[in-house]
Amino acid sequence: MKIQRLFQKTLFGIFLLFGVIGVSTSVLCIYTVDTQLSEEYETNSKGIAKTIADASVDIILNRELSALQSLIDQFVEIQSISYIYITSDSGEFLAHTFVPGIPVEIMESDWRSTATVQRSLPGMGDYVEVGNPILAGIAGTVHIGMDTGLIALKIQRAIGQQIYLISTIFVFGVIAAIWLVNLAAKPVERLLAYAVEVARDEGTAPDAELLVRDDEAGQVARLFQYVAGVSDIPKPGHSLPDTHA
Amino acid sequence: MRKITRRDALRASIGACLIAPWSLSHLTVGKAAGLTDTKIVLGMSAAFSGPSRGLGIELYRGATAYFTHVNRTSGVNGRQIVLKTYDDGYQPNQSVENTVKLMLQDQVFALFGYVGTPTVTRVLPMLKKFQDEKMFLFFPFTGAQPQRQPPYGDFAFNLRASYRQETGGLVDNFVSIGRRRIAVFYQADAYGRSGWAGVRRALGQYGERIVGEATYRRGTKFTESMQRQVDILKAVKPEAIICIGAYAACAAFLRDAVNLGLRVPIANLSFVGSENLLKLIIEGQDDSRRYTDLLVNSQVVPSYEDVSNPGVREYRDLIQRYNPQPPRELIKEAYTPFSHSFASLEGFFNAKLMVEILQRLDNKPERGKLKSAVLSIKDFDLGVGEPVSFSLNRRQGLNRVYYTVVDEGRFVTLADWKGRFS
Repeated sequence: MKIQRLFQKTLFGIFLLFGVIGVSTSVLCIYTVDTQLSEEYETNSKGIAKTIADASVDIILNRELSALQSLIDQFVEIQSISYIYITSDSGEFLAHTFVPGIPVEIMESDWRSTATVQRSLPGMGDYVEVGNPILAGIAGTVHIGMDTGLIALKIQRAIGQQIYLISTIFVFGVIAAIWLVNLAAKPVERLLAYAVEVARDEGTAPDAELLVRDDEAGQVARLFQYVAGVSDIPKPGHSLPDTHA
Repeated sequence: MRKITRRDALRASIGACLIAPWSLSHLTVGKAAGLTDTKIVLGMSAAFSGPSRGLGIELYRGATAYFTHVNRTSGVNGRQIVLKTYDDGYQPNQSVENTVKLMLQDQVFALFGYVGTPTVTRVLPMLKKFQDEKMFLFFPFTGAQPQRQPPYGDFAFNLRASYRQETGGLVDNFVSIGRRRIAVFYQADAYGRSGWAGVRRALGQYGERIVGEATYRRGTKFTESMQRQVDILKAVKPEAIICIGAYAACAAFLRDAVNLGLRVPIANLSFVGSENLLKLIIEGQDDSRRYTDLLVNSQVVPSYEDVSNPGVREYRDLIQRYNPQPPRELIKEAYTPFSHSFASLEGFFNAKLMVEILQRLDNKPERGKLKSAVLSIKDFDLGVGEPVSFSLNRRQGLNRVYYTVVDEGRFVTLADWKGRFS
C-alpha cells in the first residue's frame, strides 16, 4: 500500500501517539495491578490470619490440637496460601502445614513477630508472610505464607490481559488510520495527476468527480482549471479558495 | 401457551422460599428416617479407594460379617440391618458430601463406621447442626479427641481406645526401656496432629519433648520416596520413632529408614492398617526381617490369632463363614482382602455392639432413644476380654491398648519390650 508522503508524517505521528499511550498505559497498569493485587493479597491474608487467630483461642485453651490442625487445613486449601503455622507463646509449633518438615529459616525466625516479611525458603520458593497474635499474643501467633510466585503469575496474567486489550485497540487503530489516510490521499493523488497534466499543457479536462468535491481538493482542482483556462467561471456556489483562510 | 410474566416468576420464587424449609425439615425429620418395619439403615462413609482403601474395606468386611450373621438369624427385633456405604477416598470434603447424602437423601437411622480423623472432624459440626434430629455417629475408626470431647463429644460414641492412650502407652514403654529421645513421623493433617499431640503430652509427663518431626501429605503412595523425612529425623538422633500415618506412607518410611541406616524402633498406631503395611514391606524382599525386627504397632483390639478370646473365635468363625466382600460399585482398584485383620476385627466388634444397642430400642426404635440405649450399656461382655460401659461422661467403650510385633511374617503380641528393643 503506497502512502502519500504528505501523510507519512501524520501516520507516523499516529503510531507515535498510540505507542506513547500504549506504553504509558501499560506501565501504569503494571504498577497499579501489581500494587493493588499485592496489597489485596496481603490484606486478605491478614484477614485470614485474624480469623484463624480468633477461632484458635478456644481450641488452644480448651480442645485438642487436631481441631486446630483441621482449622488451618481448611484455609490452606485457598489458592495462593502456601503455608500456615501456629506457634505457642513459648515458640512451640502447635500446628503447621509444612511437608516434609518445618524449614530451618522459620524455626529460627522470631515467632512473636507479626510484621509482614519476605521469605525465601530453599527448595520451596519465595513467600510473603503475614502474622496475627492470638489473644494479644499471650496464646500464640498465627503466620500465613503466600507464594509470591503464584501472586506474580496472577499479576502477570492480569497485566497480560490489559496489554492484550491495548494491543488489539492499537492494531485496529492503525488499520483504521491507514484506511482513513488512504481515503484522504486518493483525491490528492488525482489532483497531483491533474496538476502534472496542466503543467505539461496537455489541456486535459480534470476528473469530474474531483471537480464536484466541496473540500479543499475540489477547490484546488477548480482553481487549476481556472488557471489553465479550461473554465472561466468557477463552479456555481463555489468561490476561489481563500489563501488566507 | 401463556407467557410467564415477571410477576409469575416472583410469585413462584416466594412460594419456593416458603416451601423449602418445610421440605428440608420433612426430609430430615421424616417419620421413617432410615427405618421401616423390615429394616434399619445405617450410613457409612469410608475410604474404599486410594492409598488407604484397605482400612475402609477391612473395617466394612468385619462389620458386614456380623450384620450378615444377625440378618440371617433373627435380625434386630425382626428388622434387617442395611449398611448404606459411600466412598470418600479418605478425603474430608467428600466425607462431608457423603454425610449430607446419607442424612438427607438416604435418611439413615444413624451413622456408623466412618474412617479417619480428617474426615470425621469435618463431619462432627454437621451432627451438631442436626442435633435436633438426634443423628449420632457410632464407632468411628479414629482415636482422635474431637469426637471424645466438647463441643462435639455428645454426637459420637466410640468403642476403641484413643490415640492419646495409644501414643501414651508407646511412650511409657519406650521410656521404660530407656528410649527417651522420641521423634515423630506424621501425616500432615488432623490425624497426624492428634497423634503428635498425644506423644507430646505423654513425653511431657517425663519432662521430655519431641526431639524431631517429619511429615508427609495424606494420600502418599508406597512408591514415593521418604528420604527427606528420614534425613530430617536422622539428624536429631532419635532413640525411637512413633509414626502417625496410614499404611502406604508408613511402609515407605520404614523401608527408607532401614535402607538409609536409621536403625531404631519404629512404632505405628492402630489406624495404620498393620496387615497392609506388612504386605507392602515384605513383598519382594529377600530379607524382610531386616525391615520388621524393629517394628512395633499398637492395636486397640486383641490379636486375631488369640483364639483364647471368645470374641476373636466368633470373629474368625463368621468372617470365614460369610467371607464378605466390599461393595462392588465402590471398588475402583483391585484389592485382595486379608483372611483376618485388626481393622476387620475392630469392624466386627463395632457391629456387634451396634446390634446390641439397636436391640435395646425394643420394637419401636427411634433416634431419640439411641442415647439412652447406649448409656444403658454397663459392663457388657463383647467377648473382647474387657467389659464395655458407657455413661454421660464416658463416650468410649474400650480403653485397652495392645502392642504387636512381627514374628515369622505375622503380627504377634509383644510380651517383652526390653528383650525386643534393648
